[in-house]
Amino acid sequence: MPRLLKKIHGDWQICDVAEISWKTQEEWRAGSALQVSVDAEPAPGWLDASSIAIEFPAMTDGRGLSLAVLLRNRLGYSGELVARGSVHQDIAHFLARCGFDVIELPDEERLETALRWIDPHTGYYQPSVISRESALNNAS
Amino acid sequence: MYQYNEFDRNFVNQRVAHYRDQTERYLQGDLSEEEFLQLRLRNGLYVQRLAPMLRVAIPYGTLSSQQLRALASISNDFDRGYGHLSTRQNMQFNWPALEDVPDILQALADVDMHAIQTSGSCIRNVTTDQFAGAAADEDIDPRPFCELLRQWSTSHPEFEWLPRKFKIAVTGATFDRAAIGVHDIGIRINGSSEQPENALVDIYAGGGLGRTPVLGALIREQLPVKHLLTYTEAIMRVYNRYGRRDNKYKARIKILVRALTAEGFKAQVDEEWAAINHEQGAVPAAELSRLSAFFAPPSFAELDNAGELLGTQRLENPAFNRWMKHNVHPHRVRGYSVVTLSTKTTGMPPGDVSSDQMDAVASWADSYGFGEIRISHEQNFVLPHIPQDKLYGLWQQADAVGLGHFNAGLISDMICCPGGDYCSLANAKSLPVAEAIQRRFADYDYQHDLGNLDLNISGCMNACGHHHVGHIGILGVDKKGEEFYQISLGGHAGHSGESPRLGQIVGPSVAREEVCDVIEKVIQVYLEHRFVGETFLSCFNRIGILPFKESIYAKAA
Repeated sequence: MPRLLKKIHGDWQICDVAEISWKTQEEWRAGSALQVSVDAEPAPGWLDASSIAIEFPAMTDGRGLSLAVLLRNRLGYSGELVARGSVHQDIAHFLARCGFDVIELPDEERLETALRWIDPHTGYYQPSVISRESALNNAS
Repeated sequence: MYQYNEFDRNFVNQRVAHYRDQTERYLQGDLSEEEFLQLRLRNGLYVQRLAPMLRVAIPYGTLSSQQLRALASISNDFDRGYGHLSTRQNMQFNWPALEDVPDILQALADVDMHAIQTSGSCIRNVTTDQFAGAAADEDIDPRPFCELLRQWSTSHPEFEWLPRKFKIAVTGATFDRAAIGVHDIGIRINGSSEQPENALVDIYAGGGLGRTPVLGALIREQLPVKHLLTYTEAIMRVYNRYGRRDNKYKARIKILVRALTAEGFKAQVDEEWAAINHEQGAVPAAELSRLSAFFAPPSFAELDNAGELLGTQRLENPAFNRWMKHNVHPHRVRGYSVVTLSTKTTGMPPGDVSSDQMDAVASWADSYGFGEIRISHEQNFVLPHIPQDKLYGLWQQADAVGLGHFNAGLISDMICCPGGDYCSLANAKSLPVAEAIQRRFADYDYQHDLGNLDLNISGCMNACGHHHVGHIGILGVDKKGEEFYQISLGGHAGHSGESPRLGQIVGPSVAREEVCDVIEKVIQVYLEHRFVGETFLSCFNRIGILPFKESIYAKAA
């Protein structure tokens, strides 16, 4: 049973979950779990996925962050969004603010580090997928 | 200048805490070299040829006397008593210990400074006109907009992991001293500082130097400034998603803009921007007013121009006269001047300043100039608001500590990267070349006769020394393991009131010992061809590159 970092009712936790059978864009059908690459173009049909995973080819590849923002803000996807692949514990907080609510990491130590730093600041300069609050809006 | 509030202070302190934890995990072996690299870069730490190098952000080149004193202390406590002013208005320390960096960052945070995003593939320190808020030719102060962009781009969750580094420059003056045409995004603000919310912005994209120098394309004109952030977001998103990631030499936004064509890129950005809820994301007018208030002019005294006094002082002291001619610039307020303190003294690496010099500049800023200091991309200090009757005293003090050199804008005021002496990317040394040229052209009358001449030196094609936009550019290249130098002519960064232009390579590269002779030949051709009062650049524009080529590469008879 895989262990991962998951946001449950607004709180991030390390938990065990049932294995998901991810399908590629070619194999995928409505109601099943869809895994896409970071260069995929979001399609309205994805709203019917039981869960969506974005696979990062490298810790430095920020395309998955933009794709997540588009899924959340443009497509209106509100289901589970999973970060998989070369995901790094020290980037978890960026993933969280781009709308991911599940983060896969290879071992307990990395999960704990990611959890410890999932929200490193008490406030942020810009609004994000998960919060309209920002330093820029404080003046208004 | 901008004053941190509790939010900003919490932010930088929390960032230091996070980085301290990352450093500890690296030192314990929990983070690999490769993993830590990405994290330390985003906190300003490189590992260079000889030691780590920490690049401290000086947002848009503005700092207070208190902050400069803190930089001086840091250079004494953690480095070797000096710092280096970079071509992007930052300060670099060349010898910090990796394990000390969290403490250095805390010392910076204590005076409202940081090193966030000064390296790595993310949005870097926003740069601007070093005379902002003081220049006589300024329409609108660009700094509130720079601060807006600084805040927005700091730890932006979506744009921290771009294909490559990303540089934004902003100007609000007639003469573009920020070189907006050679940045990933260049922004021209049109309007007045009294009504910042009514400003309109022109946005250029895809400019840059480096291996493939390109001038930015104008992709949006007269955009209401409240949309500045959402439009920038649209550009960043298109770049983040479609910029190349397979080859770091083709990963800058200029390559994407070229591949799509400027029109194609603009269409894609406009389509993205249309899909963003840009009214919801608009910058509130109150926020623009709040930021602008920080940059309100200091309480200038009602002064008269000190022409008569200065006239006497200049007659009495020829060295002061030279300095007045080259290093003192018109201020927008009567009775005040803008002063450039040159770091380009022969024998000192361009941009290097000692802690004593930093302390001295801070004290002059306090005594004469409202405690304000600027760093220019020409790697000099600027004191933006000096009463004219204090100029002579200031100059005497500056001259006593090696900061009173008269060469601002002259051939010896070259822009120069640290080159092969320090940088692990460099193909060739740049500092000895700079010094040799300064020695060859040391004679004041000769330099003065040559007039404004931008000579820029880069130790490799990454072009940190901006060689493409020097009137004379020198680029270090590696030829089968030997250091050679390629000379280009006729470039400029746009600060003469025209659109910037890239220099033309004059011919095959030359050995280091030949560089000075080649530069001298270039100068000779100019002197032979120029009309009375014609600058090097105008003369080059008129006669073209051929006469220079012929002189440099003439076969011995």
